Amino acid sequence: MRVSPQYRRLYWLALVLGGALATLGYRLVDLQVVQHDRLQQLADENTVRKITRVGMRGQIVDRQGIPLAISQPAKVVCADPTLIGGWRAAVAAALAPLLEMDAAALGQRLAGREQCGKTNLCRYVVLKRKVPIETWEKIKARMAQLEVSGDESKLKAQERAFRRNLRSKAVFAEEDEVRIYPCQRLAAHVLGYVSNDVEQSGLTGIERAFNSSLRAVTGWRVIEMDKRQRELVPYRDEDVAPRDGVNVVLTLDAGLQNIVESELAAGMAEHQPLSASCVMVRPRDGEILAMATLPNFDPNRPGASAMEALRNRVISDMAEPGSTFKIVTVSAGLDVGAVTLNDIFDCEHGHFFFAGRTLHDHESYGLLSVENIITHSSNIGAAKIGLRLGEENLYKYIHNFGFGARTGIPLPDEAPGLVHPLSAWSKVSIVQIPMGQGIAVTPLQMIMAMSAIANHGWLMRPMLVSRLVDADGKVLAEYSPQTVRRVAGAETMREMVKALKTVVTREGTAPQARLEHYTVAGKTGTAQKVEHGQYVEKFFSSFVGFFPADDPELCILVVMDEAKDSHYGGIVAAPVFHAIAERAANYLNLKPDIDSTPGVNQSLTVVEDGGVGARGQKNN
Amino acid sequence: MARNKRNGSDLRVGPALTAGLLCALFVGLGVGYVGYKNQLDVLGRQIKERETRLADLQRENKMRRDQLGTLCSPVALDARVKKLNLGLGPPALSQVIRLADPPSTEAASAPPSQGRQALAGTAERRD
Repeated sequence: MRVSPQYRRLYWLALVLGGALATLGYRLVDLQVVQHDRLQQLADENTVRKITRVGMRGQIVDRQGIPLAISQPAKVVCADPTLIGGWRAAVAAALAPLLEMDAAALGQRLAGREQCGKTNLCRYVVLKRKVPIETWEKIKARMAQLEVSGDESKLKAQERAFRRNLRSKAVFAEEDEVRIYPCQRLAAHVLGYVSNDVEQSGLTGIERAFNSSLRAVTGWRVIEMDKRQRELVPYRDEDVAPRDGVNVVLTLDAGLQNIVESELAAGMAEHQPLSASCVMVRPRDGEILAMATLPNFDPNRPGASAMEALRNRVISDMAEPGSTFKIVTVSAGLDVGAVTLNDIFDCEHGHFFFAGRTLHDHESYGLLSVENIITHSSNIGAAKIGLRLGEENLYKYIHNFGFGARTGIPLPDEAPGLVHPLSAWSKVSIVQIPMGQGIAVTPLQMIMAMSAIANHGWLMRPMLVSRLVDADGKVLAEYSPQTVRRVAGAETMREMVKALKTVVTREGTAPQARLEHYTVAGKTGTAQKVEHGQYVEKFFSSFVGFFPADDPELCILVVMDEAKDSHYGGIVAAPVFHAIAERAANYLNLKPDIDSTPGVNQSLTVVEDGGVGARGQKNN
Repeated sequence: MARNKRNGSDLRVGPALTAGLLCALFVGLGVGYVGYKNQLDVLGRQIKERETRLADLQRENKMRRDQLGTLCSPVALDARVKKLNLGLGPPALSQVIRLADPPSTEAASAPPSQGRQALAGTAERRD
């Protein structure tokens, strides 16, 4: 059978079309099935972006909610050198004043060689981190109006597109944050500071101790972009919101901290010691209300201060406590019943020979009662109490009062102090240690021990953080006062308070610590420093005291290292204690426990007990 | 011839109408789809704008809150008082008269621990 030409042509046409369709079908399968994953990835690279969403680091606030460390949003200013081309100098000149950088250095950075090498084509160069938002807005505006030579209307389309990209895309920014300490040096050693990188990890202080809580949790968002690099919101895929860091509420009171630091600075100016430290504790719960060390530093610029100034001496420096340690000796003696306040000791008129060593008093004393040993701070008297107490008892009470172990304050780098084991004690240890030699303690350990006496014998763990709250103020964790142990009986502590009250009398070593409206119980300390194993004529002067003595609200320790004019704690540290205590009592509106003669201006202010009183009276 | 003429003038309305409706349906679907997509795009842009605005406002709010907190800090207040030479300061204790609260029945009947807390309350700052 012969096929007609029309049908033959039709068959050929069908064959060609079928072949073409089969080829297209094959290509379709190849693109959609065989190469699907690779092509999908390529397409996603062009349009899909995963952007990180940065949360803010948590704040550190004082007990009244005053911010001590905050984070503000900022920008990392970056550049794409491939979009800048030959206009580096112009861009550098435009941005250098805004970024506060040298134009030449900025130009070099814009070349991208520093970060990507000589041969690599770098498309991402960091120009500066922690740039404030306002500055970034100015940079954007400056770039949008960047003056480049040539009549743009006569340029080719490609060149015009290059200039458009130069102005809008060559310099861009990423999210960042900057840590700010608005009160500057206030409580710098407690707060610490953070690293200058993107992570902003805490390096010291609360910033380090609570870094994991303060740190924000980064979120992300997977988005699709259009040709003009705008987000196509309906095609958003994953969207995980960032979580801001937890806020840390301290037990510190910024007002008290300010009082402490200003009075300490005044004391520094007067006595010119190498350093001065002060801690203020509420004895009944161990809350630290203020903690300061001078010289201090500005945590906004920690690198600008000397390394020495960065150290929190209150917790990391340990030294012989001197006479303040007699409170442990006498407490132990009273508690075990080895002595009573009225027992009389012969203080040998200032020279006591024991185990080949001679102990001295700063004045010549004959017979002194235990109470007077505290009043006059007799070394020989304390040594003799130690002898009567015995090594084992003394060692036990030293440990009970918390010496030789870290207090557990939530700050890094706390020193445990140095208490030699009983087996390592020499023959003279039993007379040296009772007067505060041959042992090393931190100022924090000393004040916690004194607070235990003020707190009827209960040693508390120092509290520096009150609670953790989220950004909405919801409490996530609350810290309550912790009792470490009972160091001595309540009756013993009452006796101790009675003895310590005499220290601030005219007969005592610290009459300058006496307050007009409150009874003060305290103890002076003047400890000789040891250099290369030898005592030298350099001193730590200290005073630790609490008030009102019978129902203490505040316990304050002042330490000065190598005061220039005098070295006695009662002369150097006690006046600073007095100044701090007076202002702090006024600030806290503590009820006086001494009836004083009404002042001439007493009608100016009327305060109800526990109520709200007028502040800010003119007090010229 | 007559049969052909009759067949040619016989207008079949049904299929034409169906085809027309189908075309209209497809066109309507297409236009609706494009309109819907356009609306999505517009709404997406509005969402983005509002998100940006919200972020800006939140940032501004935070900055103002921080600024307020900073201005209330004792350091800032002290500096301000000194700068303006206002001579302000808390009254001396001798300038303060205390009015004792009459003992209330609640305080009297409270257990010792609560009584202590009540006493502790007197130590709070008064501003």
